[in-house]
Amino acid sequence: MAPLPLLALRATPSLPVRQAAGGVAIVLVLLAWYLLTSGATPEARAISPSVFPSPGEVIKGFPSLVTERNLVGGIAASLNRVFLGFGLALLVAIPLGIVAGSFRLFGAAAQPISLFGRTIPVAALLPLSLQMFGIGELQKVMFIFLATAPFIFHDTARAIVGVEDRYVDTARTLGASSSHVMAKVLIPLALPDIYAMIRAMFGIAFGYIMLAEVVDAGAGLGYILLQSQRRGMPEHLVGTLFVISALAYGIDALFRFFERGFFPYRRSHE
Amino acid sequence: MSDAASPDITPAAAGAPATATAGGATQETTTVVEFTQVGKTYDTGYTAIKDVTFRVDDVPGHMEIVGILGPSGCGKSTVLRLIAGLTPQHPATTGIVKVMGKPVEAPGADRGFVFQDYTSFDHRTVEQNIAFGLECRGTPANERLELARDWIQKVGLDVKRDADKYPHELSGGMRQRVALARTLVLKPRVILMDEPFGALDPKTRYAMQDQLVALSREVQATVFLVTHSIEEAVYVGDRLFVFSNAPGTILQEMSIPAPDRPARVMQREPDFLDIVFSVRDLVEGLEMYDRAGT
Repeated sequence: MAPLPLLALRATPSLPVRQAAGGVAIVLVLLAWYLLTSGATPEARAISPSVFPSPGEVIKGFPSLVTERNLVGGIAASLNRVFLGFGLALLVAIPLGIVAGSFRLFGAAAQPISLFGRTIPVAALLPLSLQMFGIGELQKVMFIFLATAPFIFHDTARAIVGVEDRYVDTARTLGASSSHVMAKVLIPLALPDIYAMIRAMFGIAFGYIMLAEVVDAGAGLGYILLQSQRRGMPEHLVGTLFVISALAYGIDALFRFFERGFFPYRRSHE
Repeated sequence: MSDAASPDITPAAAGAPATATAGGATQETTTVVEFTQVGKTYDTGYTAIKDVTFRVDDVPGHMEIVGILGPSGCGKSTVLRLIAGLTPQHPATTGIVKVMGKPVEAPGADRGFVFQDYTSFDHRTVEQNIAFGLECRGTPANERLELARDWIQKVGLDVKRDADKYPHELSGGMRQRVALARTLVLKPRVILMDEPFGALDPKTRYAMQDQLVALSREVQATVFLVTHSIEEAVYVGDRLFVFSNAPGTILQEMSIPAPDRPARVMQREPDFLDIVFSVRDLVEGLEMYDRAGT
């Protein structure tokens, strides 16, 4: 029997069908969640309320998550740390990446160090950051810096190297000097790729901050998560996860929105 | 062209030395490009060209267009890139490459280059692309804008419609017009063109050939045109270099009538076709000779 057209290998369904598929999956997961966590008494539930809350409990717990647990302050604290650490990483690593991509000798020199920085698992940097920067705000910021700077450096250099020689040749035959080539050709042509990298890396940095906040944070989304677990408030824990996901999606949408304005000449927007 | 009323530019008879002074008048000639026993062997051991020797003079009022023909991989592009001073072809392994009497050391705006691949800067509009070289030269903004708009028109684009377009909004023909304008606005002494019209449809190609002839005369530039199309080389060229296969070297140099009618008209005339056929026979003969391994 021939397979249904929608189930054929690599067949692309229409957008409404794809959206409907996503919607159905959400409903199924919610339904399973509801069924596994429903029951008149805690004993009657397939999963105990102390292990995982029901959807209703998460919704009911939301107001207290905002008021008692200072959700908004937590979001601000986390974002502030990411902005500082990530911003610092951009300021340091992008110029270095541009130099490494433009002058291959510097690139070759930086290669082993950059490789070291990129192969260290991010969680392994946590003890070092505590050792070096204590347990205060500085440690949170520097953790984000250490975790992201090697990647930002590497990807920036790669974007610059990726600019095809024919553009450089063209610029040269139009009388461009080396600094002209860098400022008017290499950097502008690599910028869309660099921006795409920043967008992806910011999402990752936002994830990393939760890791740093499980240590004596005092505030922040990671702190709320940890406290909710310790205090036995799973409805706050799960509620915060939804907030984090929505926030990450919102920030990425913002990046996408600005991408269109920054790079009107990119084909991909058509 | 304003000088269309003047008598046809008399081409040197085929076989005559190309350095002959035009009209016999005592005009001063300078050598624009000179290759003396130039060879290029890469680090890999591959020899692209060998013993290439030629000389293209500048006779005031008679700018030459040199068509370069030959099988693929015969080092035609190498010759252009050596004139331009572009690595890795530059520097030559042996021999001397001179432009305006001086050995080539680096690329410069005096030797414009139009590549086969589209090389418009994606982040710049048509106008900004054309103004690129002027910007590097330090021409004031209002002046370079004016010049850029001037050249948008000269290459057959429309200032109002096209000046603010980005390259991705342009057709292949329009992109090559931009590339031509971007080079010509700098008034280069030499224009190097590597298969610039290779990707264009025949109609656009004719139009571009005519534009090239008219505009190169206007800016008084010597043109080197590498092409696979014998018709194109015979139509546009005043002189032809026919290259042999790797390692490439000039096997035949010939003078041909300069283009004096539109490409679409001239390329259908029997006289023109006679030359094309004889060049084709020559090239095919060379290729066969080459394949024989001698």
